[in-house]
Amino acid sequence: MADVQLSVQDLRKTFHPGLFEEPIEVLKGLSFDVRRGEIFGFLGPNGAGKTTTIKAITELIFPDSGTISVCGFPHTSLEAKRRIGFMTESPYVYPHLTGREFLHFCAELLGVDRSQQEDRISRILDDVGMAGSGDRMMGTYSKGMLQRVALGQALLGDPELLILDEPMSGLDPLGRRDLRDMILRQAAAGVTVFFSSHIIPDVEALCDRVAIVVDGRVRAVGSVRDLVSREADRYEVTFAGATPEDLSTRLLAHHVGSGEAWVRVSSGDRDGLMRELADLGARIVSMNPVQATLEDLLMTQGEGAGQ
Amino acid sequence: MRAIRAIAVNTFREAIRDRILYLFIGFAIVMVISTKLFGMLTVGDESKIVKDIGLAAMQFFSMLIAVMMSMLLISREVDNRTVFNILSKPVRRWQFILGKYLGLVAIVAVNLLLITVILVVMVLIYTGQFDPMLVFAAFMTMLEMSVVAAFATLFAVLTRPILGSLMTLAMFVVGHTSADLWMLTRHLPGTLTRAVITVVYYLVPNLERFNFKTEVVHDLPIHLAAVGWAVVYASAFVAVLLFLAALRFQTKDLK
Repeated sequence: MADVQLSVQDLRKTFHPGLFEEPIEVLKGLSFDVRRGEIFGFLGPNGAGKTTTIKAITELIFPDSGTISVCGFPHTSLEAKRRIGFMTESPYVYPHLTGREFLHFCAELLGVDRSQQEDRISRILDDVGMAGSGDRMMGTYSKGMLQRVALGQALLGDPELLILDEPMSGLDPLGRRDLRDMILRQAAAGVTVFFSSHIIPDVEALCDRVAIVVDGRVRAVGSVRDLVSREADRYEVTFAGATPEDLSTRLLAHHVGSGEAWVRVSSGDRDGLMRELADLGARIVSMNPVQATLEDLLMTQGEGAGQ
Repeated sequence: MRAIRAIAVNTFREAIRDRILYLFIGFAIVMVISTKLFGMLTVGDESKIVKDIGLAAMQFFSMLIAVMMSMLLISREVDNRTVFNILSKPVRRWQFILGKYLGLVAIVAVNLLLITVILVVMVLIYTGQFDPMLVFAAFMTMLEMSVVAAFATLFAVLTRPILGSLMTLAMFVVGHTSADLWMLTRHLPGTLTRAVITVVYYLVPNLERFNFKTEVVHDLPIHLAAVGWAVVYASAFVAVLLFLAALRFQTKDLK
């Protein structure tokens, strides 16, 4: 277990909104482990429990039961918190401070040596592309700039575990690319990165492993390749001389246009479709295997959970 | 200690960059300076009237600043979720409460210092003498405000800002009348009323313990024991109130 940087076991949390309102069970026995040095994606639809899990890890909320350990320490210990760099979903910063003042404040909270603070803050501002705007009040920053400063405070303590909650949301393409590069740089430097997202291409592009969380439970964990290869492949077939209505094969999707028809079938139905098209005298224009994607898996898991 | 200091400094900095504080300070200064007008319109020793009204203005505006800034700065930190930046770092929740409280006390202290300087100068102009007892009265007001700010901190953790402000204001009013009510119970026939007032008397601090205005204005002797007791009394209340605030905040989910 020495190489597990973050362990979450059987986490449960129910919110009680009010006396006359139904309790909301958000986490229902959620478990996963994140290994040292990996980029771990926490993928799930809105309301799946991603942010609640992250808030439990960072001790902003208190789970009803379950255990969390960070770098081998209980998550409530200061030793654990010293090892975490955390960036919230939206950048919650102080408009009355400049970016540099905010980072100084965070450096004090982290206990960064005062003699090193100025150098480190300048370096961080440079790393997140804010070197020219660090002395402006944060109340005047754009959302992208706030996100960069928020990322800066997460990196300030040289964390072993970087926790990013929906880091790409609200960023323009340039900002997303910069953030992706930064995550890869951190991982290359040996930092474990745990980030939640519902943006699938980002997860597919970055993550060594992924946990798919739906309805308060982890439904699948593994590398993207492992997860998607478990799913049955499908085929997309384009043909002429027949219409989808002529077919008795179960179609997952279909479309007709410009004299040709397009259908999608599961791999198990592929041969039956071919026979049927031959019997109808249709001309096959193309047939392409379709690899299952994370999106398909997420949809499947979501449908399985009744979402 | 570094975390507490950093939180206190940030709280102080936030307040001094907030226009609302200057509104309060501006009113307080206008009020203290206008004591000259009251002195001219009233029959009696003008310098005593200036001192009396000046000290009352000092107390009132310090209380307003303590209540409003406590509510603003603590609730805003939680509502705007900037507290996430603090508590996800190696900082204990009680350190957050203590840091916020110390920042607030510093704001009230600076405001008090400013009003005291103005009042001392006003009295100096009137009498040609520096009255050190005004500084003593300011110190006692500071003690009182440290208790009020601790109440405001507790209510800011327990409830919403407006309700918390009202509760703190109610505590301030009751705190200045509880001793009179206590005396009144001796003449009340009903045991229930007497019991309720007794409970209120022991739950709410007797803020009149910090009121030395009469002694300061009329140059009456002040007993050192009463001052010492007021310091102990304020310290005990602040410690208990901050403990309760930290206890509640310790288990609060920050959504």
